[in-house]
Amino acid sequence: MRLSQTLKSASFKLTAAYAGLFALSVSILAAITYFSVTGELSGEFDARIRSESQVLQAEFVSGGVPQVLRAIGERQRGRLVDGLDYSLWDRNGRHLFGYLPNVPCRPGWTILTGPPDGDEPPGELEKLKLYIMPLDNRACLLVGDDWGKVETFGAVILKTFAWIFLLSLTMAIAGGLFLSSRFLKRIDTITKTAEAIIEGDIKRRVPRRSVPDDLDRLAATLNRMLDRTTSLMESLKHLSNDIAHDLRTPLGRLRQLLDSARHGHLSGEANRAVLDKGVRELDTILEMFAALLRIAQIESGSRRAGFQRFCLSRLVTDVCETFAPALEEEGRSLKQDITPDIWINGDPELLTLSLANLLENANTHTPRSAEITVSVTKANSGVELCVADNGRGVPAQDSMRIFQRFYRLEESRTTSGNGLGLSIVAAVAELHGASIFATDNHPGLRVGMTFARAA
Amino acid sequence: MSILLVEDEEALAFYLKSELSNYGHMVEHVARGDLAYDAARDSDYDLLVVDRMLPGLDGLTLIQRLRKQNRKMPVLFLSNLGGLDNRVEGLNAGADDYLAKPFAFSELLARVNALLRRPANMNEQPYVLRLGDIELDRIKRKVTRAQAPILLQPRELALFEYLLLRRGQIVTRTMLLEGVWDYHFEPKTHIVETHMSRLRSKLGNDVIQTIRGSGYIIRAPQSDA
Repeated sequence: MRLSQTLKSASFKLTAAYAGLFALSVSILAAITYFSVTGELSGEFDARIRSESQVLQAEFVSGGVPQVLRAIGERQRGRLVDGLDYSLWDRNGRHLFGYLPNVPCRPGWTILTGPPDGDEPPGELEKLKLYIMPLDNRACLLVGDDWGKVETFGAVILKTFAWIFLLSLTMAIAGGLFLSSRFLKRIDTITKTAEAIIEGDIKRRVPRRSVPDDLDRLAATLNRMLDRTTSLMESLKHLSNDIAHDLRTPLGRLRQLLDSARHGHLSGEANRAVLDKGVRELDTILEMFAALLRIAQIESGSRRAGFQRFCLSRLVTDVCETFAPALEEEGRSLKQDITPDIWINGDPELLTLSLANLLENANTHTPRSAEITVSVTKANSGVELCVADNGRGVPAQDSMRIFQRFYRLEESRTTSGNGLGLSIVAAVAELHGASIFATDNHPGLRVGMTFARAA
Repeated sequence: MSILLVEDEEALAFYLKSELSNYGHMVEHVARGDLAYDAARDSDYDLLVVDRMLPGLDGLTLIQRLRKQNRKMPVLFLSNLGGLDNRVEGLNAGADDYLAKPFAFSELLARVNALLRRPANMNEQPYVLRLGDIELDRIKRKVTRAQAPILLQPRELALFEYLLLRRGQIVTRTMLLEGVWDYHFEPKTHIVETHMSRLRSKLGNDVIQTIRGSGYIIRAPQSDA
């Protein structure tokens, strides 16, 4: 895996974005902590010194400078207040107590630096923050403490967060690189498989992992898609074989007819008969193509746009009325078992065509005395349209194959038809979301479609 | 009658032109849609026979434009095999009839004649159609012969009515399937033939004649002549 590829990968970009977001949140956390801790510390520092100054001022009010000196002395001896520094000057600038340098006696805060006293980081000066308080024009009081402690504390916080920041960023980037390179390796496997399939190895599949995750699910879906495509390709191959096979016979006959007409030793009447036969053969071929194109158009789904609500019972009754005389003329009988007033959503023209095909299928493949029953019934799962006969039926193992294009039972090879009528029925059923069935009628065949119950 | 044939397939156009001329029609042929538009806009043809796929301007647009120009001559649309929706598209564009290729010439001739002789408005036909001593009441849906009622199934009556409205013309099986049943496919079962034979047995055998290889034609019964 090349680094540039890893850096460009979606998973790395995602990791980088998360790492960046994490770093930003660490920085914000650091800033909040730093300002609130140092703010709190310096506030407490100031309050401690200010209240000490006020206590000493109260001592001054009650007993003047000597009282103040006594109080300071007590504090330093008894450690009443920890670690504060004091200085007292009189109004002439005379040093009365402490070692802090003289400063202008204006009330307020000041920061002084002095020689290190041992508790500060090496190479830095002692830093004192002092509160200056004039005592009634007669003296000037300074109370202060080591300010460096507060500043050092802030610096420690910042340093700690800087380490956290660096460490987490490094881990995020390293982890991102690791994860995305693993991810890319698996993507690469999928790409290689796809390329192998493009090269012609259509049996190749994406290898699966034992642990199911997103990529594994994707691999499974891709494999299923490839299986489906392969089976479609197979059926297409079969179909073109079947077309070629089924075309050879009528084309061969046609060639023979044309040949005999060409030799010209037929009488006018016989010649005309030959030509008529030729036209009939051609019509068979054209009909086959028309049926194939019709199936293709139905399967494209474009007719679904013209769906309408209509009375199926009425349509079936009409078709039965139309077909009954022709069926009866040949000795078959047509019975109707039609539940009235069943409405569905669909394409009436295509359903008429399907029912006509079902009836013609029953008519072609039954003996002359057969009984054909057309039924429209409400079944548990929806509405069932069925054409049943009491003819020879279809072997159970072949029953669903009768819907395949060009499929014809061995014993039906001699009857007319192109093996596409029921394929049209299947395509129309599919368009309507209906399921097709072909079952044993004991004896005979029940074939039809079941429309899902309308919501 | 003058017919404008718009067809870019030279062999087919030549064949149709010569055959239609044999039947006494004046046929002009153009191979491009745009030229056909100019020709049909400027002169009065009795009928247009238009192929759907044309160079210059396709058949659908050609008809739509002519109809927009208020050109009302009947149009027979020819289209290549296979399209289930083509027929609807063609009729919606303003064509009067539709024929899918490949077709038998007899089928085309029957339709051309039907369109040429079609009254300007079918509804202006009288509501009682008479043929010799046979009467068909289009409103009461009843048929009588010499005042005696003949009981016809609704489909048989529709079939008879379709023929009566086109008396003297050859009507093909496909035309009957489309016009009477609204079936736009060709069932192998002899549904037209059996209905026709039932109708004949009820009306009397002298009314409807079969033209072998072409279709049917209705003529007044011999007794009336």
